[in-house]
Amino acid sequence: MIADIGFFSLVIAFIMAVYGTAASVVGGWRSRRATIESARNASLLVFPLLTLSVVALVYALYTLDFSLAYVADVSSPVMSGFVRVTALWGGQAGSVLFWAWLMAGFVAVVLVRNGERDRELMPYVNAIAMLTTAFFVGVVVFITNPFARLWYVPGAQDLTVALLPPPGAMPYIPPDGGGLNPLLRHFGMIGHPPTTYLGFTGFVIPFAYAMAALITGKCRDDGWIRTTRRWTLVAWVFLSIGLVLGGRWAYDVLGWGGFWGWDPVENAMLMPWLAGTAFLHSVMMTEKRGMLKRWNIVLIILTYSLSLFGTFITRTGVISSVHAFGKSALGPAFLAFIALTFIGSLVLLFARWETLVSEHQLESFFSREAAFVLQNMLFLAIAVAVFWGTVFPLMTELITNTKITVGPPYFKKVTTPLFFTLVLLMGLAPLSAWRKGAVDRLGKAAGLPFLASLGITAGWGYLHRMHPASFAALWVVSFVLLRIDSEFWKGLRIRMVNRQENLPVALGKLVRHNHRRYGGYIIHLGVVMIALGFIGDAFFKQETQRTLAVGETLTLGEYTLRFDDLQMYAGSDGREVVEASAALFREGEYVRQLTPRRDYFVTQKQPVTVPGVYSTPGKDVYVLLVGWEDIGTNGSTFKMYLNPLINWVWAGGFTLLAGVLVSAWPSSSRRETTYVLKPGPRPAYSEHSGG
Amino acid sequence: MNDTEIDPPAAPPTNGREDRPFRWSLGRAMAVVGVAALIGLLGWGLVQAQRGPVEKGMAPDFTLTSFDGRTLSLSDLRGQVVIVNFWASWCPPCREEAAYLEQTWRKYQDRGVVFIGVDYVDAEKEALAYIDEFDITYFNGPDTGTRISTDYNIQGVPETFFIDKTGVLRGVKIGPLAPPELDNKIDGLLAEPYPGP
Repeated sequence: MIADIGFFSLVIAFIMAVYGTAASVVGGWRSRRATIESARNASLLVFPLLTLSVVALVYALYTLDFSLAYVADVSSPVMSGFVRVTALWGGQAGSVLFWAWLMAGFVAVVLVRNGERDRELMPYVNAIAMLTTAFFVGVVVFITNPFARLWYVPGAQDLTVALLPPPGAMPYIPPDGGGLNPLLRHFGMIGHPPTTYLGFTGFVIPFAYAMAALITGKCRDDGWIRTTRRWTLVAWVFLSIGLVLGGRWAYDVLGWGGFWGWDPVENAMLMPWLAGTAFLHSVMMTEKRGMLKRWNIVLIILTYSLSLFGTFITRTGVISSVHAFGKSALGPAFLAFIALTFIGSLVLLFARWETLVSEHQLESFFSREAAFVLQNMLFLAIAVAVFWGTVFPLMTELITNTKITVGPPYFKKVTTPLFFTLVLLMGLAPLSAWRKGAVDRLGKAAGLPFLASLGITAGWGYLHRMHPASFAALWVVSFVLLRIDSEFWKGLRIRMVNRQENLPVALGKLVRHNHRRYGGYIIHLGVVMIALGFIGDAFFKQETQRTLAVGETLTLGEYTLRFDDLQMYAGSDGREVVEASAALFREGEYVRQLTPRRDYFVTQKQPVTVPGVYSTPGKDVYVLLVGWEDIGTNGSTFKMYLNPLINWVWAGGFTLLAGVLVSAWPSSSRRETTYVLKPGPRPAYSEHSGG
Repeated sequence: MNDTEIDPPAAPPTNGREDRPFRWSLGRAMAVVGVAALIGLLGWGLVQAQRGPVEKGMAPDFTLTSFDGRTLSLSDLRGQVVIVNFWASWCPPCREEAAYLEQTWRKYQDRGVVFIGVDYVDAEKEALAYIDEFDITYFNGPDTGTRISTDYNIQGVPETFFIDKTGVLRGVKIGPLAPPELDNKIDGLLAEPYPGP
């Protein structure tokens, strides 16, 4: 019954979305306000209707309504209530519905918030966003419907999944459900898909604005680009959180001691993130200087197209990946939609190409404009390299009938120098000024951090003589870290001296009154912290493996592991657990007991390796139980990793999030913002800075 | 004031460029060709992907030369249960299953089971280091020209195919193996009678 309500509201949502798209186009084209209003109302209905569908499906998952094929597939009585709810995005059909629902939510917010602003753009924004939503809702209705039921046709070997009963069929309700893929029962995986989806779907809004601006020819005015910037930031931050959570999940669950493996599915997420990051920077050029208009539109199109491309390759299995996504029937429809989006946006872009001229020319190669352009090129170069590596197996298979997978070595080699140049630029670019070159300023403001970072690197080099390649990387990171700190310090000193504020007050006010600028610095700080984590992973990771009898030990670096005991017992959620107990010693001193284990999920026939981790700010000791003897406790195999600096990745992720919150915070006082941004020459300041 | 009509949009400041007709240029043509090629590539990939790995019927025959120069043909192994494991040294999930594979091989090697490691798209030096690291003792060789992996249409690495005593494919595991999966599979296949060639 409830499932029927969910299904019908889904169908009505589809009709509303199609109508909303068509009526928006007609209304915009003929400038008919009544039609536009009607389209808007229909589009606003899509979100509540889909909400009803989602609630119905969650209810079915929670109450284990196995008459639905989807519920029987991913839910099961042994799962806790919370995990059953997260099964909404644990399978194909549910996750596409979830996806469509989030997208409809974004569109609804835009329609409500910006209904009166951007009056000429709105019909087309509505049309483009609704067209995309209609596509995804259509996929849910016609191709992968979570409300489809299981039917038994007498004489047939397999059960049929269909919405309506095939002739002569009887409904079939399985006694038990398959349950959610055990790998997905982890907090990282519970948070990772929703945030990733929010990121991917969120990019539809900037894209719709860009398309609307091209269609109406309003792309010369920059009003729309401000709206777009904020929406891109929203989508971008969700995608960033999704990336970090995905890495954390891989680290905790996949059991290979790493967090980023350059797998196609990971690349699929990284590419739109790179293009989106480039856009968030270049959009400042348009806001401040009216430059790079074509480029911005290209970047928006690219960001959105890459997120569609990423969804396509992960959902259809076109590019083989170690991630197990099921093959599905939505490939052809998806391909048609991607083709429409790519070609449609390209045609529109060409049609308006001449309108999108810059208002200014680049005036100096050391100006802030030049820094932004360089930064954009670097981001795109990384995106192109990642794209190339991702589609390479497909191309070689087409041309030579041989699949050549390039693997992580390619990605590491190509992207590492580019990433580090970007990090370096992050430290230098804030020193440059709009329009003019400022080499002299560069020397003055960067001198002290430069010398200090050299000192740090020298100290580091002395301690880690065997890893010379890490010196350059560490120098870049420490230099940029100090540079960002000095930006803060500069602003703080002005306030502390001029206004007699103490440090915390000055810091609070400084950030509050220039939230975009200092939010940006905080984001940069987060990025540098993540870079530090990657240095640890690239240069200082150690691993070893050995089979131990009880009482035997395994040593790696300053840590020693002693195998104490092995237990087998039945765990919750229908799993059989094999758990080892091992004592960890640091330079002979007992630290704590680690319990790496292997959970075997009986129904799904799937094992999950759960590492035993001892985590410190400096490094993680990460121990896996990879094998054991059937009887007794005299032969268990352990893998042991030392992962230095890895926690900086997670801390960097939090810092980045904090930075986005600061920079996206609504402005409180405009007047003071201008004032602090342009501090006049003050005697007190020069006196102190001189001494 | 007519309320049903929107005010006509104010004309944007022009500099005489807006009215220029659309013209083809090399850059535009390249962009169109590039996009079309990408879509074509994805479409072709989609067709390939829908085929999926070979799962049923006779296992495609192959001859593999091991890293230490021995050769082995699948067709010579009738009467024995064969486990074909595709792996690569650059593949993290392969490392996850490596110890278990070797352990299972040692357990079954005298009971009519053959393990074959097929190293997929790899460099010999790294591959040998990997074999050394996990102390792998079963037959292992590089898939030169990715011929074997193409025949089996593998989806990625690791991927493991289970072949019964008569040379028929009896299943495939995409992704890493873990205890007691492989043991169960081998026990099942070993229990089957072999009627002879």
